[in-house]
Amino acid sequence: MLVLDAIGKIYPNGVNALERFSAEIRLGEIVAIIGGSGCGKSTLLRAIGGLDRATSGTVTLDDIEISAPHAKIGIIFQEPRLLPWLSVADNIGFGLSELPANIRREKVASALARVGLADKANAWPRELSGGQAQRVAIARALVPQPEVLLLDEPFSALDAFTRRDLQDHLLDLWADTRPTLVLVTHDVDEAVVLADRVLVMRPRPGRLFDEIKINLARPRDRNSPLFGNFKRRVLTALDRSLDRNVPDAEAKSNAGEAMWW
Amino acid sequence: MAMTVELPALEGTDAIARPVPSGRLRRLARPALGLLLPVGFALAWEIIVWLGLSNGRLVPPPTKLFATIVELARSGELVRHIMATLTRVVAGFGLGVISGTVLGAISGYWGLARRLFDPTVQALRAIPSIAWVPLFILWLGIFETSKIALIAVGVFFPVYLGVMGAILSVDRKIVEVGRTFRLSGPAMIRRILLPAVLPAYVVALRVGLGLGWMFVVAAEFMGASEGLGYLLIDGQQLGKPAQILAAIVIFAILGKTTDWLIEIGSAPLLRWQDAFGRQGGAI
Repeated sequence: MLVLDAIGKIYPNGVNALERFSAEIRLGEIVAIIGGSGCGKSTLLRAIGGLDRATSGTVTLDDIEISAPHAKIGIIFQEPRLLPWLSVADNIGFGLSELPANIRREKVASALARVGLADKANAWPRELSGGQAQRVAIARALVPQPEVLLLDEPFSALDAFTRRDLQDHLLDLWADTRPTLVLVTHDVDEAVVLADRVLVMRPRPGRLFDEIKINLARPRDRNSPLFGNFKRRVLTALDRSLDRNVPDAEAKSNAGEAMWW
Repeated sequence: MAMTVELPALEGTDAIARPVPSGRLRRLARPALGLLLPVGFALAWEIIVWLGLSNGRLVPPPTKLFATIVELARSGELVRHIMATLTRVVAGFGLGVISGTVLGAISGYWGLARRLFDPTVQALRAIPSIAWVPLFILWLGIFETSKIALIAVGVFFPVYLGVMGAILSVDRKIVEVGRTFRLSGPAMIRRILLPAVLPAYVVALRVGLGLGWMFVVAAEFMGASEGLGYLLIDGQQLGKPAQILAAIVIFAILGKTTDWLIEIGSAPLLRWQDAFGRQGGAI
């Protein structure tokens, strides 16, 4: 269980980026965090990953407090961030340096096959397309088998077609070991297709506004009316989160639920 | 020498006609294109002197130049002078590279050291290195030590700046990847920082080497009994322009060769680079 307890972040320049954000995320759950720009969603993700320390509150994973990057937590960024001087295979094996070479090679080979890039093992990162590079980044993060995988707008730099392809692929890979996924996104479609639960954040200061459970079986049909309903609910919550006239207390979108059900 | 190379540049027109020129033709034509200008000028000058349009006394024709080099080589003088100069460059370059790398790495990696050292180093850099010559002679004598010190000073600055700048400009995002995989300090240096700074480091070494060759001439001007710089001064004082030009040509060859050694030595480590020039640049 990943527990976020009243996480707050005030930057040295005085910007209050995040205020008392709390959530409990079960093992194997997929949670999407969505919100307008400046709502602190990336700040939150970096605090969960231990890359930046929160100024208040705690992140605990299985009762261990996270204050620095942890072996059980993998991170995927918006850019693939592959190391340009390593081959694709060596990039994937980057986090396995403590394993004996033969085991490492085996794991890398199976990961390469799993993301459909077996023929690119010896290629340089610069020779990959954007989608292929992001697949390698996903493989690199998953190969040490993290318990939690954090994704910071992982597909936002890709074209629409590649993005859908990789969303489906991510779910596919997730099904292998079922890690917890925490995904920051600004794409409603992406949140609804991937997540069990969508957390809507509100800016200035960044805080939790609403929570929408997506009770849809997988694989999800993006064209089904039910899918459309969930999308509308998330969109409504987003709109309300940006409307200054809606106080925080009225957030819980039972109102939204009543509208669409 | 290069005179025997015929000019395959004309074959280039063939290559244009065909959509994909054969790899071998390309490999031959590319360096040949670079030879076109110097070889052309040499030939033209040779012909002008041969036709008697110039007496070639102040600017000797290539054959005279070649004869001078052969003559120097035959007497063993050439090897002695080359070795003297080469030894000085190697020693000075080595010292400059070591000190520049160490201090540059410390300043780049450690902010406190940078604030402590860098202003002083930058202030010293503003002094034209030749200005140190009188002081070096007073301190270190007129023999090898002062010459090597001058070369080392010349090499130090570009290497120091290159290493420090390269470390400072390592992509924060890549460093973050190292952090997410919990690399220790030494592992971060070995697996992220070193490979990331390598391309800029090679450039710094090449710039440093160029300055090393520049300063060896200055060092040998200030009183030497052997070395290519001595050949230059000797040629001037005795009115032997062919000897001066011979020394210049040998400088060019040595400079280019040592630079090329760095280039091919580093090439296997930099294969991953996605550089514009690597694909031949704009054609």
